[in-house]
Amino acid sequence: MDFDAYDLDSAFYDEMFLPDGTPRIHCRSLHESLLRLPVEELVRMQERVTHSFSSEGITFTVYGGEASGERIMPVDCLPRILPAGEWQELETGLTQRLKALNRFLADVYGPARIVEDGVVPVDLVRGCPQYRVEMRGAPVPHGTYVAVCGTDLVRTNEGFHVLEDNLRVPSGVSYMVANRKAVKANLRRLYRSCRVREVEHYGRMLRETLKELAPREEDDPCVVLLTPGVYNAAFYEHIYLAHEIGATLVEGRDLLVDGGYVYMRTTSGLQRVDVIYRRVDDDFLDPLVFRPDSLLGLPGLMGVYRAGNVTLVNAPGTGVADDKSVYAYVPDMIRYYLDEEPLLRNVKTYICRRPADLEFTLDNLEDLVVKRVGGSGGYGMLVGPESTPDEREACARALRENPADFISQPVLDLSRAPCLIEGRAAARHVDLRPFVLHGRETRIVPGAFCRVALREGSLVVNSSQGGGGKDVWVLGD
Amino acid sequence: MLSRSAQGLYWMGRYLERAAHLSRLMQLQVETLVDRPLREIHFGWNRVYSSMNQHPPAGTLEAFRSDDYTLADSYTLADHLTFESTNPDSIWNFFAYARENARQVRNYISAEMWLSLNLTFLRLQGLTIQEIWKTAPESFYAGTAKDIATFTGVADATMYRDEGWHFIQLGRYIERVQLSASVLLAQIAAQERQDESFDADWANLLHVFRAFDAYVHTYSVVVQPGQVLDLIVTDELLPGSVRRSLEAIASVLDAIGPGPSPGAGREAAALSASLCVTVRDGRNDVTSWHATLEQVYGDSRKLHQHVMDAYIAYPLEALPAR
Repeated sequence: MDFDAYDLDSAFYDEMFLPDGTPRIHCRSLHESLLRLPVEELVRMQERVTHSFSSEGITFTVYGGEASGERIMPVDCLPRILPAGEWQELETGLTQRLKALNRFLADVYGPARIVEDGVVPVDLVRGCPQYRVEMRGAPVPHGTYVAVCGTDLVRTNEGFHVLEDNLRVPSGVSYMVANRKAVKANLRRLYRSCRVREVEHYGRMLRETLKELAPREEDDPCVVLLTPGVYNAAFYEHIYLAHEIGATLVEGRDLLVDGGYVYMRTTSGLQRVDVIYRRVDDDFLDPLVFRPDSLLGLPGLMGVYRAGNVTLVNAPGTGVADDKSVYAYVPDMIRYYLDEEPLLRNVKTYICRRPADLEFTLDNLEDLVVKRVGGSGGYGMLVGPESTPDEREACARALRENPADFISQPVLDLSRAPCLIEGRAAARHVDLRPFVLHGRETRIVPGAFCRVALREGSLVVNSSQGGGGKDVWVLGD
Repeated sequence: MLSRSAQGLYWMGRYLERAAHLSRLMQLQVETLVDRPLREIHFGWNRVYSSMNQHPPAGTLEAFRSDDYTLADSYTLADHLTFESTNPDSIWNFFAYARENARQVRNYISAEMWLSLNLTFLRLQGLTIQEIWKTAPESFYAGTAKDIATFTGVADATMYRDEGWHFIQLGRYIERVQLSASVLLAQIAAQERQDESFDADWANLLHVFRAFDAYVHTYSVVVQPGQVLDLIVTDELLPGSVRRSLEAIASVLDAIGPGPSPGAGREAAALSASLCVTVRDGRNDVTSWHATLEQVYGDSRKLHQHVMDAYIAYPLEALPAR
């Protein structure tokens, strides 16, 4: 494979090449190996990977329209490499950030000092639809509201930025492991020579984390993974994780509340459940407390939870801390709770509930990314430079009708990495989602799910919107 | 294990058995299209449908008009029973349901089982009736039956013999008893109408149960309906006999135990034990098998209900206080 026609553009940080076209030091052996490999061999490799994903049923589900159904997550077989030092900085920054976010959640559902001290506006917290009054005073083991976090990072020429914190039910970790397994099997010699750090122990780490949060002292607490069911986009991931952590994969209808405890219905009777790693949104957890029309959850669950007889991971109400408006205040939280300077940058954010920010957003729609504060998965967002006048018109109407629902951010010059597209190396925009676990202590696997916007020039990396994945190689020292 | 997972495994077993059974019937049926008289072809289609508790779609098989009509009808019916996604009793749907169940209980079956089933499902996704009809459709049905046999072999070699395994077997054998009883009853009904000699079909029936060689070995090359039924129902060495299926059910229920709601569990065990006795002895007589097979069919449906009541949807009031 050659890189003769590779489109380097200094406007974007390139993950493999320096602006002068020479490979970055940590990418040299990858680059050399790729030069030696005939491109046909790489294409065949790509086909093998796709075929193995299809055979093994490593899929996700797309909603809406004719294209809905089970899809294979496209994987680009060229890995993205992060050197040891760079990873170390990210790890420290992510740990710091999650620590502050957990302190923030304990605070807003407890004494609310940060609001009283005027660091975060009270209406932003209490007015946030993800703020759950039911969580006020609820016992949370070790103050760990967020035990599983999937932070979205992007890199520009200025360095890494946190784009979103994803503190509710972040997904993608199974693809991190699946991508690794597939790419490793196909680039064996290179993989060995690069001394890549492993990621396959994520499941064990998650298991340890969940056990630490069990409500009773028990050597082997009963852990279940609560899934919305087979039609959920991430159902494959639920199966995978349940297997890795040795948990039973349950739906709401498998559980019942009796005498202040949660039980699951088994072939030998009812079994008490200690920890629920739930992959169901807050709204659907308990129809008696949240959405009454929910069929996915368990009536009475919140009562058991508040009595401290079952642990929910993540805790309900964590969405108040990854709300896209509250996001803007995370650097202030770090200073407030930890008395430290934030190690990871935020992206400049215009909070449309502020009249000045709304006006700025409406005047600059063509240059901004507009997002719903509670949205996720890339559904319902506007990427200004890629939008049509009609789309901008519709967005402006929605903004005026309900400004508090939106934030906007400048379009980021997301870094690019070489991908194998139609038999040649082409630059595509990428992001990075590492997964941070926290029970009693913080655990991070050295790796991440790297999402790729496979369409040329596109900045939207979401798998539901035509994105794919890449394996991330974090190198050892 | 989780009750719903046990149920998923049970249904996976049932749907795969149904797919195997229908594939075998279809293989034999499309073979008859080559050289058998129209009357026999029509009987064959009706037998396929009645074993699924269905009737052929309206407008087909209305009269013994001509080869052309019958072959055109056969194409339509084969499509309906094989690829029609709106027909819940098509092979396509049996695989889709089996895979859907398997996908939800992936953590209870071996990785090899999942892979084998998923590959068969994916292969089926890419096919149409036009394609399989172009060459030898019987080889497609033989291939499908073989895929299920491979799955069964893979399961046998790789799956841990825990409760999950027992629920798959339970589904498989309960389904097999029901389907066998249905096909045999359809055959007896045709014989009792006595509007045509069905010698050839009794031989064909032996092929459905892969019992032809055993029959020749045990009896003779002259096929007698009463002896065919004796062999298929009561033989203790024939892998697909009703007796062996019922004995398998009894031993699986014994391995699982009575469950949290012992009433239904004990009833299931008692019913399967009494069914084993019912099919132990030969009768050499078609008519006397009729009533017995009706009973086997009805009781196997009851057995299904007992299994659900004992392990899956048991009433909570019946459980000890927690």
